[in-house]
Amino acid sequence: MSVRTQGTTLFTAILILVGTTVVVQLWLLTVSTEALLIGQVKTLVPAAVGSSVLLLINACLLRYVSRFDRDVERE
Amino acid sequence: MTNETKECASCNKTPKWKQDFPIEWEGDHYVTRREMVKFMTLGSLLLAGANWIAAIAGQLLHRGSKAERDIGAVSALERTGSLLFRYPTDQDPCIAVRTPDGKLVAYSQVCTHLSCAVVYDKADNALVCPCHHGVFNIYEGSPVAGPPTRPLPRIKLEQRGDRLFATELEA
Repeated sequence: MSVRTQGTTLFTAILILVGTTVVVQLWLLTVSTEALLIGQVKTLVPAAVGSSVLLLINACLLRYVSRFDRDVERE
Repeated sequence: MTNETKECASCNKTPKWKQDFPIEWEGDHYVTRREMVKFMTLGSLLLAGANWIAAIAGQLLHRGSKAERDIGAVSALERTGSLLFRYPTDQDPCIAVRTPDGKLVAYSQVCTHLSCAVVYDKADNALVCPCHHGVFNIYEGSPVAGPPTRPLPRIKLEQRGDRLFATELEA
């Protein structure tokens, strides 16, 4: 399997993973907005922390993609 | 000679569409996926930011929900069976009720279905929303009939002599 084909497969998997986390983040934002409107303040901070953790995962995956590209260019 | 040079220069010039998108056909899938990951991570950043804005707004908006407020005389409540007041701000209507077994309870008057004002029904000993016939349990504020699915926010009360004080909003 060529590096390019491997890269395409890998990026597809990463894209699916990032897409899933973004959908979870959207759900968290929906829950937070509803909680804010009905005054359930206790829900808001844990939801924001959860969303930040998902952002961190996405950032790590993006960093991995950039490193992969750099390595391929070097080779 | 001059004309030929001009023609050659225009021939070798890269077309504008290729300058805007300098990707070969075989590399197209590879690049679009990578760009999509970047775009979605940016979206993820915006969503996390929006979540934090909601959390901060929640803290700021409900900062005054523990402030004490004099809501009226106990004697007025005994006369009518229920007392309307505003808590924690002047825009939040609430209702205090003396139950038949002598318990003092208070809830937000805003129905959790479509925000109509709930009223005390003495005969059924329940809080009733006249708009869509939603019924709430008087002791817990939980919905027992009709379209509402969420309980009414409860307000803690304190009796000091003949005066009643709202002390905290419990979501």
